[in-house]
Amino acid sequence: MKYLFPLLPFFFLPTALMAQEKPVDFIHEIAPILRKHCASCHTNGTYKGSLSLDTREGIVKSKVAREGNSKGSDLIRRVHSSNPEERMPPKGDRLKEKEIALLARWIDQKFPWEPGFSFKATAYVPPLRFRQVAIPGGAGHPIDWILLKHYGTNQLAPPAGISDAAFYRRVSLDLVGLLPLPAELQAFSSNAYSNKRGRLILQLLEDKRAYSDHWLAFWNDLLRNEFKGTGFIDGGRKQITAWLYSSLLSNKPYDQFVRELLLPGADSEGFIKGIKWRGRVNASQVPEIQFSQNVSQVFFGINMKCASCHDSFIDTWKLQDAYSLAAIVADKPLEIYRCDKETGKFAEASFLWPELGKIDPKAPRQQRLEQLAALVTHPENGRFARTMANRYWHRLMGRGIVHPVDVMANQPWNEDLLDYLAEYFKKSGYDSKKLLEHIASSQAYQSRAVMLAEDPGTADVVFHGPLLKRLTAEQFIDAVWLITGAAPKKIDAPLGKEPPPAAGLIERQMVRATMVHSNLLMRTLGRPNREQVVTTRAETLTTLEALDLASGPIFHDLVLQGGNRLHKSQGSSNPRKIVEQIFLAALSRLPVESEVQSAVAILGDNPSPETLADFIWVIFLLPEFQLVG
Amino acid sequence: MNKQMKQNENQERREFLGAMAGLGVAALGMAEPRLRAAEKLIQPKATADACILLWMAGGMAAPDTFDPKRYTPFEIGVPAGKILCTFPSIPTALDGVRVSSGLENVAKVLDRGSLIRSHFMPDLGNILHSRHQYHWHTGYVPPQTVAAPHIGSWMSRILGPGNPAIPPFINIGQRLEGHGESEELKAFTTAGFFGGEFGPFNIPFPADAAQSLQPPKGMTPQRFESRMKHWRELVQRSPVGEKTSDFHRDSIIRSLENAHRLLHSKEKAAFDLSNEPESLRKIYDTGRFGQGCLLSRKLVEAGARFVEVTTEYVPFLHWDTHENGHTTLAQMKQQIDRPIAQLILDLEKRGLLERTLVVVATEFSRDMMIEGVPGSAAKDQSRAKADVMGELKQYGLHRHFTGGCSALMFGGGIRKGFVLGATAEERPLLVTKDPVSIPDLHATIFTAMGISPKTAVEVEKRPFYATEDGKGQAVKKLFEKSV
Repeated sequence: MKYLFPLLPFFFLPTALMAQEKPVDFIHEIAPILRKHCASCHTNGTYKGSLSLDTREGIVKSKVAREGNSKGSDLIRRVHSSNPEERMPPKGDRLKEKEIALLARWIDQKFPWEPGFSFKATAYVPPLRFRQVAIPGGAGHPIDWILLKHYGTNQLAPPAGISDAAFYRRVSLDLVGLLPLPAELQAFSSNAYSNKRGRLILQLLEDKRAYSDHWLAFWNDLLRNEFKGTGFIDGGRKQITAWLYSSLLSNKPYDQFVRELLLPGADSEGFIKGIKWRGRVNASQVPEIQFSQNVSQVFFGINMKCASCHDSFIDTWKLQDAYSLAAIVADKPLEIYRCDKETGKFAEASFLWPELGKIDPKAPRQQRLEQLAALVTHPENGRFARTMANRYWHRLMGRGIVHPVDVMANQPWNEDLLDYLAEYFKKSGYDSKKLLEHIASSQAYQSRAVMLAEDPGTADVVFHGPLLKRLTAEQFIDAVWLITGAAPKKIDAPLGKEPPPAAGLIERQMVRATMVHSNLLMRTLGRPNREQVVTTRAETLTTLEALDLASGPIFHDLVLQGGNRLHKSQGSSNPRKIVEQIFLAALSRLPVESEVQSAVAILGDNPSPETLADFIWVIFLLPEFQLVG
Repeated sequence: MNKQMKQNENQERREFLGAMAGLGVAALGMAEPRLRAAEKLIQPKATADACILLWMAGGMAAPDTFDPKRYTPFEIGVPAGKILCTFPSIPTALDGVRVSSGLENVAKVLDRGSLIRSHFMPDLGNILHSRHQYHWHTGYVPPQTVAAPHIGSWMSRILGPGNPAIPPFINIGQRLEGHGESEELKAFTTAGFFGGEFGPFNIPFPADAAQSLQPPKGMTPQRFESRMKHWRELVQRSPVGEKTSDFHRDSIIRSLENAHRLLHSKEKAAFDLSNEPESLRKIYDTGRFGQGCLLSRKLVEAGARFVEVTTEYVPFLHWDTHENGHTTLAQMKQQIDRPIAQLILDLEKRGLLERTLVVVATEFSRDMMIEGVPGSAAKDQSRAKADVMGELKQYGLHRHFTGGCSALMFGGGIRKGFVLGATAEERPLLVTKDPVSIPDLHATIFTAMGISPKTAVEVEKRPFYATEDGKGQAVKKLFEKSV
């Protein structure tokens, strides 16, 4: 970066001349001054002289600053004053002339503020350690016991249950990403075993292949892993596909899984290596800082992106925290940059919660990583278990107990529930399948889907059953492939070895969308580039997506293949039979009479490849097909 | 967030909504991330309703196009260091302003716009085209912690469509599959965190554009209509969820209806080049870029908000001359000269130029000797290295130069017949006055379109600005009237 400097003064001369008119930048120029000199006495609960600088409103009310008039403002007068009765701060270092000039300019510009910004910390402090939650004994699922209280408090009846078929569709899509086949569905509905739902959950989870194929997408999103993509072009990125896939196949305990990511072998080092772009990058995007950001976000739902440039304005993490975490992985001393400028200070390796244990900053890198791996997965690190339990809950229920799932500093809508699941997860030996099974076997999961007229965004939603979810791009494509028989023949994911076959019927043995390169259709439907960590996909269908489904060549071709295939296999059947079969395969239910009428009208008396294609197109575009209800 | 702020935000959102032409696509603008109501953010008065970006992909050499220098003809034995440019210059419609030969048509319309000779890029230490292109298109240097939106997606998100039947952001001429760096191109050819609704409508082959808004090949319009009719019927008749509204479900129904409307609108004709007079088509038809220019005019006429037409980035092709620069540039100029000039004249003739901003830009310039800027650590990537000229393929500006670059702006409130800035007369050809950075050029474009460069959305609880950190400043001199 240094070689740039000789040129810069020349370039920036005109800008420097305009400095007087330049608008101040509250967040980067003013907030740090206030924090340094004023905050300890006038913000966040301490308001000496009844002065609160928490918000702009507070300043207006106090009249210490007058809009557009720094000369007449008490604040400026006092930071200048040498009168011991008046001077601010009353003790210690005075403000530098440069800082006072900035404050004056800020007041002259009517002291702009960052919308929503306050020096007052949010009231909620997420606990670090685990907490035992007392569950009343007796029959019933612990999750439902906890929720019983929740329903009571909110004066809600426990949500109504769902049919076997609806349950099968939901749980199959959620656990293995596939629609149930008509034959499986019929067998399940007519079967009278006790606890047949529990058995189904187990049976799905035991299908290693289907489970791994499905969850690969979730982990690829989370760990920024892709089979091809940016960064690979010049060796700046390394994929971890083979390791990841085999970890899913063996249901590797989550704590061990994370230890192997942090203390990697050659096959899992891609995660901590990050993505290295050719050329100079912003100091907040060097691989060490990517490491800090990703470890924080993926394992703890902490946003260190702000703090890797300057002290965070949205929570309590500081620049130093971001760099201390980064320093663990650094090969050589890591200089701290603030907003992309050198500070001359060097980071000392340490972990987010020193109360759990120390990283020895002087130890070699390998040893520091070992220490980190131990602290992240520390038996008393409840944040580790809560973050993942919340992610699994989110996947199954459509919304986190803490939401959004990447802001684990937010208050959960039910602390008992989150703490219970975290504890359960740990006690199970961080067995992801056990936790998924536990959630899926609750009444809460097996209840009717909640419909929301409007996207709630980050607003509170009172839990009353799982939310409707949109199929991911991969689920949607798999579902279409299952019905059209148009799945590709070859896996693109470099797994290192042949994966085991999927369990059950032959139709389930297809190559899944998660296992092949993305194409334009999948991209349109929301499969991400995976350059950034992705933890949630878009919940709504957009016009451009619909356009691809209405007239795009890839989808059109799939539908045509489906029409041909169905014509070969079922063309001679009675149209009503075909309609019933497709409804079962696509929607996991039989059509009502009025639907049969419509559908038969599309097919005609002698269904042709064309009318069959038209019919499945209509089915694929139904909201009911594209959603998990 | 306090109540007042929420109110402000709602108010502001309402204002934005009001600015959107129709419901349909626009109604979806409510998705996350939300616009932030910045304190007293004043949106400038728009001087343009639509923007066409003509993208010279691969690094258009300024000295061989719009900023000619001392010309040294090819001769065996000429020292490379002596060569600043490889074409003689020609006069333009502006007194005393010359451009490189081969641009005779654009030279004649320079009085309709401004020529910027002082655009410059940061030296990123090493040249990767797609990285610089990402920077130019999103205003942010990759990598970024969030997926940065393309400038067209900002237009789409903030302004919505000019006509609900035309996608607001259309991207013409760039294939995203099948060649080098395609993954890198995809990384910025996206709405990023704005979400798919605001992403580009891609038309890699302008001559086939009409097809992209047709029912799929082999489908008659009647058959497609019948699909829609039965789809509506089955949505109606479904016993599932029919009584309760749900935003997922609504989005599917609304979006397919929108798509259907696009496929059936009369504006669809705007995608069809074949309904233009043959004589006009001939003028434009220098290849895909030229056809794209014609298409962009038709689309803007029909209400598109932002259209990008690219000469297409393919590593080592087109403007990306690592060897044979002189020969290749003669072809490239032939490809762009007539269509660009014709586009300006066409827009003018139709009374559209006043409210349409046309920008010609590239990710950086090129130089015979220097990679990046003087003293840069960037690796020399020339494929025809020579101290003295031995053969024609060595004759050309084969290195990537970031210290001074040209751009053009026409229409949409931009000053006419104006040249901004200059570069040195001798190597290094650095900017010597009125430097215009990427954030400032973007700020100029945003301002013309009525969007404050400080406009921000909230992503992961922090602000993300239309120009980096909200700091881009519109170049006031480039506007006809004060803004």
